[in-house]
Amino acid sequence: MTIGSIVACLKWVAHPGEPNDERFAGMSPADQSALEFALQQGAAMGVGVVAVTVGPAGAERVLRDALACGVARAVRIHSARPMQSDDVAAAIAAVIPDATWVWCGDYSLDRGSGSVPAFLAGRLAAQQALGIISVSRSADGVIEATRRLDGGRRELLSVAAPAVVSVEGATAHLRRAGLAALRAAGKAPIEVVQSSTPAAPYDAVVHPYRPRARALAAPAGDAALDRLRALTDAGAAVSARGEQVTLEPAAAAAKIVDALKSWGYLA
Amino acid sequence: MSTPTLGLDCDVIVVGGGPAGSCAALVAARAGLDVVLIERGPFPGSKNMYGGVVYPRILDSLIPEWWLEAPIQRWVTRRSTMLLTDTQAMTVDFRSEAWGRPPYNGATAFRPDWDFWLAGHAEAAGAQILTSTTVTGLIRDASGAVVGVHTDRPDGDLRARVVIACDGVNSFLAKEAGLYTHTDAKHFTLGVKETLALPEEVIDERFNVRDRQGVDIEILGGTSGVNGGGFIYTNLDTLAVGVVLKLPALAAQKARPEDIIATLKAHPAIAPLVQGAELKEYSAHVIPEAGLEMMPKMTMPGMLVAGDAAALCLAAGIWLEGVNFAMASGMYAGEAVIEAIKAGDLGSKGLAGYERRLRDTFVLRDHRKLRRAPKLVLSDRVQHLYPAMVANTVERMFRVDNPAPKPGVRRILREERKRAGVKLSDLARDGWNGFRSFG
Ligand SMILES: Cc1cc2nc3c(=O)[nH]c(=O)nc-3n(C[C@H](O)[C@H](O)[C@H](O)COP(=O)(O)OP(=O)(O)OC[C@H]3O[C@@H](n4cnc5c(N)ncnc54)[C@H](O)[C@@H]3O)c2cc1C
Repeated sequence: MTIGSIVACLKWVAHPGEPNDERFAGMSPADQSALEFALQQGAAMGVGVVAVTVGPAGAERVLRDALACGVARAVRIHSARPMQSDDVAAAIAAVIPDATWVWCGDYSLDRGSGSVPAFLAGRLAAQQALGIISVSRSADGVIEATRRLDGGRRELLSVAAPAVVSVEGATAHLRRAGLAALRAAGKAPIEVVQSSTPAAPYDAVVHPYRPRARALAAPAGDAALDRLRALTDAGAAVSARGEQVTLEPAAAAAKIVDALKSWGYLA
Repeated sequence: MSTPTLGLDCDVIVVGGGPAGSCAALVAARAGLDVVLIERGPFPGSKNMYGGVVYPRILDSLIPEWWLEAPIQRWVTRRSTMLLTDTQAMTVDFRSEAWGRPPYNGATAFRPDWDFWLAGHAEAAGAQILTSTTVTGLIRDASGAVVGVHTDRPDGDLRARVVIACDGVNSFLAKEAGLYTHTDAKHFTLGVKETLALPEEVIDERFNVRDRQGVDIEILGGTSGVNGGGFIYTNLDTLAVGVVLKLPALAAQKARPEDIIATLKAHPAIAPLVQGAELKEYSAHVIPEAGLEMMPKMTMPGMLVAGDAAALCLAAGIWLEGVNFAMASGMYAGEAVIEAIKAGDLGSKGLAGYERRLRDTFVLRDHRKLRRAPKLVLSDRVQHLYPAMVANTVERMFRVDNPAPKPGVRRILREERKRAGVKLSDLARDGWNGFRSFG
């Protein structure tokens, strides 16, 4: 199967508070943003968008939502059980080898490690622009993207195809499906393919690392606004706590690990 | 499934995924009609609340042995009617083991579960359910007949042979169609409810039930002087505690409904039942209380109104039944539509089968029979004078005032009637009205 050049990867997620109740399941906000960007790009390029999901038959609801919003094709890669992120990426990569632009949500509400887009970029040998908070397209088809970094910093990226772009939830507001499209989506065909990669069992729930809570002194300042600023760094010129270095990948990785150790994130 | 006529998007549009809408859609879809049910919430039932007891007998024909699959909390096997003054409580309590066995009588259920389940049957029968979509108005043809609806979606118009409005109390569609001649705040009550969590065993123990048996307590008095009533229903591991308040009385007294519930919960007869419970949810909804007095015209060319949208909820003191009236009227609307489409007449004459069905069944018969009840139950005398009169009478009957001998009941009644300020003529009139309403 060959699939079009603009792909939106969407996941049907249970609500974290109601994991067994389909009424509260849906598309993560980040996936909604990804779908909206894909549709905008598709419209600008005059190309139909393909929505892909990995999951059981129930996950087709996310594809029907995408069809209602305007994707041209919907593909479900069948998987009856949860899969490791890399297996999900491998399964998707196998059906979209020629994709030029792949849009993903930065992280889903249920697992939220944000690793599928990175694995996918690796599998597709594509550029990766992850954790994106704003996107604009330049005339030559290159995407100018802004990425969130720690401490209020931003990274500006120029991304050329083929690329995997993962976007945060509030980045774009998914369009409201029209009535006729909504009706048609309910009956539209969905292509189902079997996953070509044998999936390793996925049982453990992995959460992204969160630093331990630390006791902090109360923020300084007489006015509430000053105290808030002190707490959040908001509006303040950030002091340069980091350093910029140019290193080979192995040395850079070692430096990052050292820094994480010295900041207390790694033992 | 039938192919709708050229220029139409479907045969039947049902507005609202409550019990009325789902039953209408289920019946019409089973007959092979192309049915679209439009619900504004993210799933049917998501926006709906009520006190908590359904009486699903009417489903016997629609979903045989519904009790094997319906999402119920507890089967109601105890029904109590409680009369409260500030410091007294008198309860008439009835229990029946038969109500805890098939075919059952009433059950407590959560609306997001119940409505979703019913809508699932409509969908399985072939109805298409469009959620998160609000109907914003009616499409009419040159003759004024309804031929479709506008919705809040892009390209949001949908055309059909007929629209069944099941959009609940205060139906904008029925009003837009001019089916209500007038609306009056005094025809409505406000129902507010707290859902309070307690362990299942604690509920079993406090309410003297077991094995999913449940209790329905209707309360007269205990509403802080605002005309209305109260209720307590047992779910599996929560209680529904609420009050139903006459709107003008609530406004006039500038009372806050949540304060009224708090006062009810603090009553010495109620406090031990709810002690230690954790508040899970607070919800409120308007009830069309006035029955026949407020009902609209039920049909017009191209449109029918069912359920609360047609003010069919029966709110008559010890009876607060709306879901069964909604399910039945929805069902009858569906049947009438099938008949009208077959006859090729969706005008008032063609749809007349709907009103006929309502008239010939419990839906309008119960309303006619109990037509005086809402007014009587919410009247000032029944609300403010009789509870104290009755409670004081009973208190004196059971009080031992030795060495004084026991007074006769007639004497106590006479004295307590006078003390409460009730005229004999009013008592006789209300008694006669009560007898005619409930007798
Ligand atoms: C506090 C309280 C306690 C009650 N207790 C009981 C009880 O114990 N037992 C009982 O049998 N009855 C009870 N009732 C009455 C009962 O809830 C109603 O009679 C019943 O819900 C009516 O059903 P319905 O389908 O007509 O309307 P609803 O249940 O109100 O459903 C209407 C549906 O239409 C949808 N809708 C509305 N407008 C639009 C629109 N424009 N576009 C799309 N969708 C729309 C709504 O979201 C909703 O899903 C109680 C009511 C209240 C308020």
